[in-house]
Amino acid sequence: MTQLNAENSDMKESKLPRRDWILLPLISIFTIFLLAAATDLVSRTTFTPSKTGPSDCMRSYPGKGVQAIPNSVCWNKGSEGELTEYRFNNCGQRADFECKPKAANTYRIVMIGSSFAMGDRVANSDSLAALLPAELSQQTGRKVELYNQGMLWGLPHSFWLRFDDVLAAQPDMILWPTGPWDIQNATVVLPYSKSSFDKKDAHQLSSMSFTGRIRFSIGYFVRNIVPPSVTADIAQIRLMLQHYLYESQSLYIDSYLLNASDAGFLAIEPDAEWKTHLADFETYSARMEERAAAAHVPFVVVLVPNRAQAAMISMGEWPAGYDPYQLGNELRAIVTTHGGVYIDILPGFRDLPNPEQYYFPVDGHPDARGHAIIAGLIDKALITGAAPELSVANQPQAVPARDK
Amino acid sequence: MDTASFQFVLFGLAIALVSNLNRSWVWRSTVLLLASFTFIGLVTHSPLVLIPLAAFLLLGYACLLMLERGWSRHSAWSILAILLVYIWLKKYTFLPHGIFLHSPYFTLGLSYVLFRVLHLIIESGSSDKKQHIGFIDYLLYTLNFTTFVSGPIQRYDEFARDQFAQQPIRLGPRVVGLQLERIIRGFFKVNVLAMLLHAVQKDALARLSHPLPLSLRLYSAFELVILPPFFVYANFSGYIDIVIALARLMRVRLPENFDRPFSASSFLDFWNRWHITLSTWLKTYVYNPLLVLLMRRTSSRTLQPFLGVFCFFVTFFLVGVWHGRTSEFLIFGVLLGAGVSINKLWQELLVRVIGRQSYKALAKNFTYIAFARGLTFSWFALTNFWFWLDWKQLDEIYSALGLVSWLCVWAGVWLCATIVLASWELLRTSLLSIKTSEGPVLTHRYARVAYASVFGLISVVLTLLLSQPTPPVIYKAF
Repeated sequence: MTQLNAENSDMKESKLPRRDWILLPLISIFTIFLLAAATDLVSRTTFTPSKTGPSDCMRSYPGKGVQAIPNSVCWNKGSEGELTEYRFNNCGQRADFECKPKAANTYRIVMIGSSFAMGDRVANSDSLAALLPAELSQQTGRKVELYNQGMLWGLPHSFWLRFDDVLAAQPDMILWPTGPWDIQNATVVLPYSKSSFDKKDAHQLSSMSFTGRIRFSIGYFVRNIVPPSVTADIAQIRLMLQHYLYESQSLYIDSYLLNASDAGFLAIEPDAEWKTHLADFETYSARMEERAAAAHVPFVVVLVPNRAQAAMISMGEWPAGYDPYQLGNELRAIVTTHGGVYIDILPGFRDLPNPEQYYFPVDGHPDARGHAIIAGLIDKALITGAAPELSVANQPQAVPARDK
Repeated sequence: MDTASFQFVLFGLAIALVSNLNRSWVWRSTVLLLASFTFIGLVTHSPLVLIPLAAFLLLGYACLLMLERGWSRHSAWSILAILLVYIWLKKYTFLPHGIFLHSPYFTLGLSYVLFRVLHLIIESGSSDKKQHIGFIDYLLYTLNFTTFVSGPIQRYDEFARDQFAQQPIRLGPRVVGLQLERIIRGFFKVNVLAMLLHAVQKDALARLSHPLPLSLRLYSAFELVILPPFFVYANFSGYIDIVIALARLMRVRLPENFDRPFSASSFLDFWNRWHITLSTWLKTYVYNPLLVLLMRRTSSRTLQPFLGVFCFFVTFFLVGVWHGRTSEFLIFGVLLGAGVSINKLWQELLVRVIGRQSYKALAKNFTYIAFARGLTFSWFALTNFWFWLDWKQLDEIYSALGLVSWLCVWAGVWLCATIVLASWELLRTSLLSIKTSEGPVLTHRYARVAYASVFGLISVVLTLLLSQPTPPVIYKAF
C-alpha cells in the first residue's frame, strides 16, 4: 500500500519542485553510472583473461593449417579458467613426453581433434589425453600410450590435410573425439577470412526476434563505433553476467536453444545448413576412414556432447522439436558406413546430475572434471568391446572393473 | 503482447499518451475501446477464433438486458447459463471430451471476463436501482486491455466512475513519475526476479530426479517448497503493477491486488493480501450470501460459529478450483479451504479456551505473530505443489525423499520462514522509521528514482543478454 500512500500524498502536492526537474535525471544517471562502474570493477577483478594464449605457440604451416611450434611453451588464463600451461613436445604435440619410435608391446592411440582433444583450458595432467591411457593401462594391463595430435582449430578439413602425419605416428588406433562445433566448421582451415563470419551474422538478422534485433543492433554499434577498449569492457561484463546466469541448467538450455547459432544440430529435423555441415563432415571423415582402413588402423569416432546437449540428456526432457541424441545417431550412421567405429557416450550423461557444471559456462569447453568424466566413459566403451584389442575380456592381466 | 513484455509496455504507454490528448470521456473511451480491440487482434492469429468469446460476451449482455427489463427472477438461471457455457468453453476435464468444440479458439482472459459479467448480472439482478449499461460501456468494461489478461477484477461502478467522469482524475508530473517507476518495478519483477526464481525452481525439480546424496535432495526439496510462492508473487504482482500504472496513466484507478502477502499473520489475513480482487469477489458473491442463507436456516446457536468455517471452506475451495481444469486443482482447492477453515476454527477455539481479551493480546504478541506468519507461508507453499505440478511430478518428488524427509523439509521451511520473515519485518520497520519531513527516506522520490534506474538497467541488460521471450504471466492461463 506504499504506492497508494505515495500517490495520496502526491495529490496534495501535485507540483514538482523546480530543482527536481534537474535533480531526478541526475540521480538516475549517477545511479546507472555507479552500477555500471561497480559491475565493471568486479568483472575486471574476476574475469580478466591473460594477454597470452596457446595461439602464441602456433603458426600456420602451408597446406596443413595452424599447428604448434615444436618445443614451445605458452601460458593462458581464460576469462573463466585458471592459468594453464601449454607445453608442446618435439613433435608439436601437447604432452609431457617426447615423441619416439613405438616400443614393442605398446598400444599406441593417436588422438586427433580440436581444442577439446588438445585439452584447452585444463592442465595437461587433467586432460583426456593424459587420463585415458592411464585408465586403459590400468584396466587392460597393457601399456597404452596416447599421442595427442589434437590442436586448436584442428577441424576435419585440417586433419585430412595432415593425415600423413597421423599415420606416420604408427597408431594402433586413431581416436577422434569430436563435437558439434567441429562439424559445423568442418571445411574451415586456418587462417580464415573473418569477413565470411560477419556476412553470416548479417544474414541471420532477418530471422531474429524483436529483442534479438535490438541485441544485434547494439552489438553492431559496439563493434563498429565504440572504441575497442570500451568494447572489451562491455564484452567482459557480458561474459561475467552470462557466466553466472548460465550456471542455471534450465536458463542455459532455454537461452542456448533460442539464441545459439550452432543449436541447429539439436533439432529433430536439421535445417539445410546443418545438413550441409554433416555432408562436409562426412566427406573428410570418409576420406580419413578409407586411409586408416588401408593402413589397417581402427578409426574410432566419439561425439563429445556440448554443454547444452549434456544438460538436456541429464534432464531427460527437452522442448518439442529437439533431440539431444539426434547428432549422435547421424554421426554413427556416417562413421559406420565408411568402416569406422562409433562410440556412443551420450547415454552416460543420463545419470549425471547437472553435467553442465563440468563445463565452463560461457566458453563451453569441459573443465578438468568434465575431462575425467569423458575419459571414464570412453575408457568404459573401449574396454567393453568398441576396440577388440583393448577389450578386458581379451586381456589375461586385466584388472576387473569391480577392483577399480 | 499478452505478457509483461517491452512491446506490451510500449503499447500501453502509447495508448496512454493518445488517451491524454483530450480529457473528454468520449475520446478516452474511444481510445480505450480501439486499443482493446487492437490488443486482442494482436494476440490472435485469426478473427474466427474470437467467435466463442464474442458469443460468450453477447450471452452475458443478453442476460443483462433481460434483468434490466425486470426479469429479476431469472437471474439465477442467467448465472447458471453463463457458468455452464464458461465451463464448456474452458473444457473442464470432468466433462465428456466429445461435447467440446474441436477447432482452436481464443480463451485468453475468459476467466476474468466471467467475473466481470457475473458481477454485472448479480448486481443488476439484486439492485433496486436499475442502471442501464450500454453495449459500448459493457465492451469497454469487459474487454479493457489493462485488465483483460489477468485482472485485477474491477467493479463496474469503480470503472465507470473514472472512465466516464466529466472531470477525469488528475495526472500531474508526480503521478506520472510514480506510475513510470511502478512500470519499471513491475517489469523487473516479471522479467528478472520471476524469471530467475523460475529457473532455480526448474533446476531443483530436475535435480530431484537424480540419485543424489540425501543432503542435496533435502536442499533441492527446500528450494522447491520456498521458491514457487515468491515466483508466483513476482510474476503476477509484477504484471499487476504494470497494468495498474498504465491504467492510471489513462486516468483510471484499478484496485490493488496485492498488499505484502508474506507479512500476513494468518492464512485468513493472507487472503486479504493475495489476489485481493479475486478473494473479495468470492467473499462478496459466495461467502456472504451463503452465510446469510445458512444462518437463516439454522437456529442452533452452537452450530452458528461453524457456519462461517464451512462458508470459508466453500469459498476458498472455489478459489482453488477456479485456477485450473484438472484434478490437481481440486486438491489445491481442498487445501486452501482447509487452510482458512482450520485457521477460523483455531481462532474460535482460542477465544473459547483463553477468552476474547487474552486472545487479542496473544494475537499482538511478536513471537506468536512470527510463528503464525511462518506457518501461513509454509502452508501456502505446500498448497502450491498442487498449483504448479501434475500428479506424475508430484509422485516423482514424493518418491525422491519419502514422507519423513518431506515432513522434515516442511518443518524446516516453517522455522526458516518464521525467522526470515520476522527479521524482514523488523528490518523494514526500522528502515521506514528513517524519515524526513516528506516521509520515509526509502519511499522518497529521490530514492524511488534510484531504485527505478537500477531495476530498469538490470531489466534491459538481462532481457537483451538472454534474449528469451518474456516469461508468460502465470495467471493468464486461468
